[in-house]
Amino acid sequence: MEINLFGKLILLPTDVIAAWVLMIITGPLVLYWLTKKRAWPVIWDYATSTHHRKIGTVYIIFSILFFFRAGVDALFIRLQLITPENQFWVFQGDKYNEIFTTHGTMMIFFVATPLLIGLMNVAVPLQIGANDLAFPYLNLVSVYLFVTGGMIFFAAFFFNAAPNAGWTAYAPLSTSTFTAGPNNNYYILGLQVSGLGTIFAAINMLVTILRLRAPGLKLTRMPLFPWASLITSFLILVAFPVLAIALLLLQFDRQFGSQFFMGELGHPVYWQHLFWIFGHPEVYILALPAFGIFSDIISAFSRKNVFGYTSMVAALALIGLLGLMVWAHHMFTVGLGPFANTFFAITTMMIAIPTGIKVFNWLFTMRKGVIRIQTPMLFALGFIPTFVMGGVTGVMLASAAADMQYHDTYFVVAHFHYVIIGSTVLGSFAGIYYWYPKITGKMLDDKLGKWHFWLFLIGFHLTFFPQHLAGLNGMPRRVYDYTWEDGVFVYNFISSIGAFMMGASMLIVLWNVYKTHRKKEENAGADPWDGRTLEWSVPSPSPEHPFEKMPVISRRDPLWWAKLEKKELPHTENHRASPVSVKTVQPMFLSVALTIMSFGFIYGWIWMQILGGAAALASFVIRAFNDERKPAYEREEMDNEQ
Amino acid sequence: MKKLAMIPILLILSGCNLRVLDPKSQTASDQAFLIYLSFGIMMFVVLVVALLFITFTVKYRETEKNRHDIPKHEEGNRTLEIIWTVFPIILLIGLAVPTVMITYDVSYIGASSDDNALHVNVTGEQFRWTFEYENGEKTHKTLVLPKDREVIFHLTSKDVIHSFWVPKLAGKIDVLPGEETRLKVTPEETGTYQGKCAEYCGTLHADMRFETKVIKQAEFQTWLSKK
Repeated sequence: MEINLFGKLILLPTDVIAAWVLMIITGPLVLYWLTKKRAWPVIWDYATSTHHRKIGTVYIIFSILFFFRAGVDALFIRLQLITPENQFWVFQGDKYNEIFTTHGTMMIFFVATPLLIGLMNVAVPLQIGANDLAFPYLNLVSVYLFVTGGMIFFAAFFFNAAPNAGWTAYAPLSTSTFTAGPNNNYYILGLQVSGLGTIFAAINMLVTILRLRAPGLKLTRMPLFPWASLITSFLILVAFPVLAIALLLLQFDRQFGSQFFMGELGHPVYWQHLFWIFGHPEVYILALPAFGIFSDIISAFSRKNVFGYTSMVAALALIGLLGLMVWAHHMFTVGLGPFANTFFAITTMMIAIPTGIKVFNWLFTMRKGVIRIQTPMLFALGFIPTFVMGGVTGVMLASAAADMQYHDTYFVVAHFHYVIIGSTVLGSFAGIYYWYPKITGKMLDDKLGKWHFWLFLIGFHLTFFPQHLAGLNGMPRRVYDYTWEDGVFVYNFISSIGAFMMGASMLIVLWNVYKTHRKKEENAGADPWDGRTLEWSVPSPSPEHPFEKMPVISRRDPLWWAKLEKKELPHTENHRASPVSVKTVQPMFLSVALTIMSFGFIYGWIWMQILGGAAALASFVIRAFNDERKPAYEREEMDNEQ
Repeated sequence: MKKLAMIPILLILSGCNLRVLDPKSQTASDQAFLIYLSFGIMMFVVLVVALLFITFTVKYRETEKNRHDIPKHEEGNRTLEIIWTVFPIILLIGLAVPTVMITYDVSYIGASSDDNALHVNVTGEQFRWTFEYENGEKTHKTLVLPKDREVIFHLTSKDVIHSFWVPKLAGKIDVLPGEETRLKVTPEETGTYQGKCAEYCGTLHADMRFETKVIKQAEFQTWLSKK
């Protein structure tokens, strides 16, 4: 669309106009609705509280919001690809490149990762008998950094500057020589800010799990979700700084004329190494927590302890370790030579062994159990075959010479959707249905949950199974068009139908949440699923400081054994000085400062960079001289002495 | 409705000659062999898992009868765990050995085995290919190759990274700026095959296609001298 404004010709794509119009209409409606429902005090509470459950909830809500946004991108992609030589709306060429870039980036960084961190926030402290995360203030900073990064990235579209170099942002395409304009600056700053939040969250989780477990809860007695969180946090601590460095170097290349990824001394492949040294562990950062969730759910809903606990933990650790040394399997076609290629092929194949151990242990956990099929368990059951299918194509891809055929085709697209949706997305859904009572005190409707599951799972397989075949028939990734002669029409057509089924299933989730909160139902109770682990021993929704008197743990699944023996969980006499939840607006200030600074860098406005930078620095100084925990800790010590 | 009914039939028909599995050179045959081999091994794994999965979920589902049963506590089973650790290792060795061999086979490492090899310089740029033959002739849309003669591609890019891919002849090789990558292939059947850019390279990445024509050696000589 062309607008003639004061003699200047402005080109505006209709999709951006549509987005603005939609926002201008829905924005006030939402604000009105929130005011009418008197929701503002609650929102303020969640925005300033450092309580782990509330922070976890904010993580989950924003992840779901971004999930819808990135899901709409996916539907646009599928509409453009539904037939050969199609012209859907504006999504050809650059616009198509923008939507697949935002789809990928959002799904990985602003949906999958924070969704799992949100669930960790909600469940891990309760599962290990801690009163909160070790650093509640840092936790609030983390969630603000995630939301800020996500919003910066989200905003790009509204300014018609969505990133367009793919979620992998391969140099030199992502350098300013080939993609000038602010587009990919949004990518860099959005990920940089949220990545920092992820690192903080990992540090927090590591310290919490290592330091704040209830007495007697040795590491070897911990449920598997905290175990997975522990190993994941370690992986984040190794991987995310590499991304931060890579992004910084790219930013220097784009804005300050350095040449790390091109020119005489630089090399584009350096970016690929850095990106995948981060990127491959990231895949396990997404998968391991989901494994943990499934282990807990399968055990609880089979009424049996986890089969082969020790090997389950060992497998988690081994996957984490091997995950750090397989990155170059994303680069088999770069020409690293057959030695490097076969080395990384074999390390990659080795990952199949611990993963196989986990799959068989899950299956044998169910054996001789009593399998109660409710929504969380249904997702766990859907996960096993789906993930195994993604796993086996992973081994096929590991075979270096064969990968030269698969690489960058729809076969790869199918593979990673099978593993990531199979583990992370199904795992998060399972986790949300499972811990929903612990978050809100209410149960989500089981019948609607089952509808959601079946529609999502069938839609998923319809979407992604044919893509294996499209890839083998020579359809590369990231193309907005194909011809009739390519012979991939049928696969794409089925794919598009499946995608809309998945989309429809998400509407059921919205309806389910609405329905659950509309009726004034009584509380779901502390233990609605007949659980085995500590989180089900505290009231729902979990209160602040749920373990004033620490439970004393003498074996795994303590709650289960206490229930069987019809005894109370034993607990200590004194309570232990533990982190306290406070109210603070400081992270909000930091978030505003970083937004100003980021936009300064995105558009190269130096005054904004200085203003935002100074304000961010000031927030550190303010924090250094203000510790709101002091009075709370003193009060707690006094209580103990009495 | 009739069209809809055709869909499953079309699906099956088109499954029979997927380009990657319809190789026209030794390189692509080797790669197709690896694909079939890994697929076979992996289907075995999927079958075992599916069998156990279906058996367990059907057999141990909650029913009216077992609703209040408390299953026996079970720490694990060493024999079983050793089986599902060792057995996959054996399967993977079965895949790893041919992978290593074929990866070395299909990679261009230094010297060519054939003195008579044809050298073609390939240049990728946004958004077209340039194929330059030894006598300096250039083409853009069509790559013409002789049958049964080894071809060595010397690939480089003028701008961003591209990837050179003719699915029926060989797996892809990336085309990098400021560097030369190489690919060797010996076409074994005459015909016209699709070629594509497989590495996302910008606005018109989808249109960066070419045709590969494999013709008889004598025809190739006349074609090259006529140009």
